[in-house]
Amino acid sequence: MNKITVTFIVNGTEVTLKVGPKERLLDTLREQLKLTGTKEGCSVGECGACTVILDGKAVSSCLILTGQIGGSEVLTIEGLETDGTLDPLQQAFIDYQAVQCGFCTPGMLMSAKALLIHNPHPSREEIKTALEGNLCRCTGYEQIIKAIESVVKK
Amino acid sequence: MKFNEVNKSIKRVDAYEKVTGKAKFAADLFFPNMLYGKVLRSKYPHARIVKINIEKALACPGVEAIITAADIPNNEFGVIVQNQQVLARQQVFYIGDGIAAVAAETKEAAAEAVELIEVEYKELPGIFDPEEAGEKDAPLIHSELENNQVVHHRLRKGDTEKGFAQAEVILEREYTTQFVEHGYIETESLVAVPHEHNTLVTIYGSIQNPFSCRNAVASVLKVPLNKVRIIQNHMGGSFGGKDEVMSSMAARAAILALKTDRPVKMVNTRDESILETYKRHPYKMKYKVGATKEGKLVAMEIKCLADSGAYACQTPFVTWRSVVQATGPYELPNVKTDTYGYYTNNVYTGAMRGYGSPQTIFAQESLMDELAEELKMTPMELRLKNIYHNNSITASGQKLDNHQVSLEEVINKAVEASNYKEKYREYSKSQSGDKKRGIGMAVSFRGCSLGAEATDAAGAIVAIQRDGSILISCGLAENGEGLKTVFTQIAAEELGVDIRRISYMEVDTSISPESGPTVASRSTLLGGNAVKNATHQLKETLADMIENKFKVKASKLVFKNENIYEKNKEQKIISFDEAVNLANQEGIFLSAYGWYKAPDISWDEEIGQGRPYFTYVYGCQIAEVEVDIATGQIEVLKMTAAHDVGRAINPACLKGQIYGGVMMGLGYGIMEEVETVNGYIKNTNFDEYLIPTVKDMPEISPVIVENPDPHGPYGAKSIGEPTLELGAPAIANAVAHATGKRIRHLPLNLERVLLGHSLSKGGTKNDILRIFNHSKNRKGSELLR
Amino acid sequence: MISYEFLTTQKIEKALNYLDKFGKVHILAGGTDLLVNLYKESPRLPEFDYLLDISNISELKFLTLVDNFIEIGPLVTHSRLINEPLIKNNFPVLTKAACSIGSTQIRNRGTIGGNIVNASPAADLLPPLIALRAEVELTSGKGKRVLSLEEFLAGPYKTKIQANELLTKIKIPLLGDNYYTDFQKIGRRKALSIARLNLALVTKIDEEGVFHDTRVAPGSATPYPQSLPETEKAIKGKSVYNIDLEEIGKVTSKEMVSITGERWSTPYKKPTIAVLIRRALKKIIEEVKTNE
Repeated sequence: MNKITVTFIVNGTEVTLKVGPKERLLDTLREQLKLTGTKEGCSVGECGACTVILDGKAVSSCLILTGQIGGSEVLTIEGLETDGTLDPLQQAFIDYQAVQCGFCTPGMLMSAKALLIHNPHPSREEIKTALEGNLCRCTGYEQIIKAIESVVKK
Repeated sequence: MKFNEVNKSIKRVDAYEKVTGKAKFAADLFFPNMLYGKVLRSKYPHARIVKINIEKALACPGVEAIITAADIPNNEFGVIVQNQQVLARQQVFYIGDGIAAVAAETKEAAAEAVELIEVEYKELPGIFDPEEAGEKDAPLIHSELENNQVVHHRLRKGDTEKGFAQAEVILEREYTTQFVEHGYIETESLVAVPHEHNTLVTIYGSIQNPFSCRNAVASVLKVPLNKVRIIQNHMGGSFGGKDEVMSSMAARAAILALKTDRPVKMVNTRDESILETYKRHPYKMKYKVGATKEGKLVAMEIKCLADSGAYACQTPFVTWRSVVQATGPYELPNVKTDTYGYYTNNVYTGAMRGYGSPQTIFAQESLMDELAEELKMTPMELRLKNIYHNNSITASGQKLDNHQVSLEEVINKAVEASNYKEKYREYSKSQSGDKKRGIGMAVSFRGCSLGAEATDAAGAIVAIQRDGSILISCGLAENGEGLKTVFTQIAAEELGVDIRRISYMEVDTSISPESGPTVASRSTLLGGNAVKNATHQLKETLADMIENKFKVKASKLVFKNENIYEKNKEQKIISFDEAVNLANQEGIFLSAYGWYKAPDISWDEEIGQGRPYFTYVYGCQIAEVEVDIATGQIEVLKMTAAHDVGRAINPACLKGQIYGGVMMGLGYGIMEEVETVNGYIKNTNFDEYLIPTVKDMPEISPVIVENPDPHGPYGAKSIGEPTLELGAPAIANAVAHATGKRIRHLPLNLERVLLGHSLSKGGTKNDILRIFNHSKNRKGSELLR
Repeated sequence: MISYEFLTTQKIEKALNYLDKFGKVHILAGGTDLLVNLYKESPRLPEFDYLLDISNISELKFLTLVDNFIEIGPLVTHSRLINEPLIKNNFPVLTKAACSIGSTQIRNRGTIGGNIVNASPAADLLPPLIALRAEVELTSGKGKRVLSLEEFLAGPYKTKIQANELLTKIKIPLLGDNYYTDFQKIGRRKALSIARLNLALVTKIDEEGVFHDTRVAPGSATPYPQSLPETEKAIKGKSVYNIDLEEIGKVTSKEMVSITGERWSTPYKKPTIAVLIRRALKKIIEEVKTNE
């Protein structure tokens, strides 16, 4: 199987990589770019742990082949903190105890971030819709929603 | 009591690395020269292995080593019964049994090699029903044993025959529960590194019980414990599920690592995880209860049958907790309980949050509602008439006299918070339309910590560094629940210092004191006490030093606000930093090894009497539901959860446990089920094994009740498991209230609610085989519509 | 172990060339079905040597009103369908169905074309599209052809698409005045839920309250999505004042079972499909009565 050369932007930096035909964006991020903040939880698009923001939209990186995204922009959890300052969402997750084991956290934050990019004042229901593809087994979701709501209120 | 650090919702100490993605979980670790491991698992639930041919696989480019049972020094391990195979030698006992393991340069090469391993099987008929396994002439699953019984626990109190003879009302019911998957979002992962840190092998992993893992790996490799080192990574959830499976994975990876002299990483895919790892025990339960017309319980007879699957794993202990608690928190003069575990060729079963309680509580709380209906009492009335109070005597003959028995309090608080009385009245009236509402309650008592299962002790090292920063090392592990934060709070409270001075170390079996497993909701109770013990020793050391230097009596010293004061005096004597400095100068040792051993318990195995647990917690959950009786859909509108936790060290973390436990209980009640057909697992990924999403979340009202327990640190006891064990029965009772129909099997899925029974996809075994043969590596079954 | 060569293009013409040039090419668009099947090595996947990624062909992302049709490019995502005023205003039944698919992440990548060509018996867009009398345009190097969607579907996970064809357009005729629509779905949980059963209803109700031009299409009920002519016949001509919903429900149940035969799931689906048609009708009837 031949490799494909693809150029795209990750967290503001342009990269050009050789990727295999079966290589998913998730694999490229974690293994080639060593951005291990994005997690693999199920490999079939059901858990949201692999969520990143692609061209402004939340997507499951386990369902995208890197060969597909030439020219696109990807934002991962590593790109949220800028110059040592946490994104308000990240700070809110800390303040509202929205983190337990932390494995679903990057995906949750990316889904929340994608939501606020397009809809800075979502209702609780809209927040839930943005998160409905992110499974959490620890927190029972409530404190995550409260954290996001706190950012919306500001 | 006013505290500075405890009983406060301090932000978690490990939150920063988790929200930035910097926290490294085992799958995020990369070592130089690292190989990837992958396991070939069985094609059949029960078969003899005739021949294994690894030639073609070994020739695969990138493959460095392949091992089978022949390469394993000691192939059988187990916490209680050592009959779990690391890799199958002559026989596979369930569909997830591993047969060979490959180490290769890339994940793809390992996967390819696994497909090229040739195994010749002789398929054997299997047993998939524990009742069948228990029959007199049932074929033996493990040929070295006499029969298929893993364990039988008994409890006898009073005389049930007499009791039933006196009863004016008798009810007999059967309840069943399902296989449940832990469903942690992070699958099992670890890396085994050979010859590191002066050990034979070091294993970094998502391992709930590093010491059990070390035991297993050392016994498999036939080396002393100090040659194996387990370092626990951040864990992406465990809920009891990352114990024996991790020992098995660690042993396989260790052997591959030693064979190749290179680090070996093993990460299960979700399908592998659901296929191979142990599940929650399904139970078949027969309950018989006798009561007076006025609703006073006089006798109960209980029989629980647990499916242990292929291996014993934790079945003996899980069914033991069931035998202790199966009656529920009700005064009963006459009790006869028998719990059994049987081997089958199903996936094996083990520890899962609750550990033998969610099953019996489903049965006992459903039964109480059924009995109430029979007696024409309300569910609340019947419970209040029979629940434990201070000095009540349990089914095991234990007098509850050393702590506040707060059942009535948690019930009343839950009732108030949920507006239960009014809603019960309202929903008891006739409702029109397809959507019917109901409200139901469930109550429980839970023995804290291990009870008679094992030695119950924990240790902690608290080490004050020369600059005043502090390290804590304890054998109990952060599973994500907030243990690090809570222990740090305790140490900060005791030493009177800012929490940011303290760093809680990852569990490292070569350094941390072995403290038993992080299970049974025991961490705060035992580990917290160990930390307190250590800090207490340090305070004494510093106090003695200050008494010598400043001539103030040690007993009059108060540690707070980063300083040390004389009691009732405003001026500080010395700051904490200065005290540490002084100690360093004087050559005083500022590390302490704290130890806490649980109070004695007792248990007579023959009759199930004694003091099985040294203290208990009490909980009540109330579910309000709306049932669409035309489609079988259940909407859980609100869950109210009242739990007596002794003392909430960190109320926000505690609420997190309540929200999480309630959601897990909801999943258990209405949507989760590992479907097995003749030993094959049909739903091996999250697209078919359904756990609750954020949209399934009801309004959750947590009620924290605090009756400080004399045993716990600051009175704290347990929260982790009580929050999960009540959701399903509360919902089942609410659904029965709404629909007038009682469902005695979990989960309450669409078909059961609509039709009263589930529908199985069935299909013949050949259908399943055809599908598995097509779908290579069994990455997932196909839905038979 | 599945292996293939990866091809990608931004031009329809190039894509069609690839299809002509190579045999055994499989198309990749949003990936929300295909990549799951690839990961699972599903027996449903045909053998293929090339994977052709068309997700970047902007020529297939249009959504416009042309004459009396709304024309939708196959690469329009479910999210876009939900947000587009043209769809919300003209085909709310399609919007409602799209909202019920998967999750936000899935909807951001999954496409209407993918939903159609994947042809899952449980697909959420197919029942409304059938009820809306959608047409599909298929293009190959040799030219174009247009079929009704219902004709295009050929079996579970099967369509009449040829190896050298691309789905290039979905056309939906505008509904006239007095058309009412509804979509019902039963799932096992509230999100990320494959339909246990779903149903789309599109019908005209005239000023006297009489049903005309009624279209009913269920999903996850028959081997592949199709309309229910018996049910449609039973509804047409009745009025909102005299229609017997129980009766209609019975007709629908009977019709479904006559197509599927008794299956393991029939004891559940037989009563519940009746519930879905009753509820869809009830909702529409209430709407009509409110408008009066």
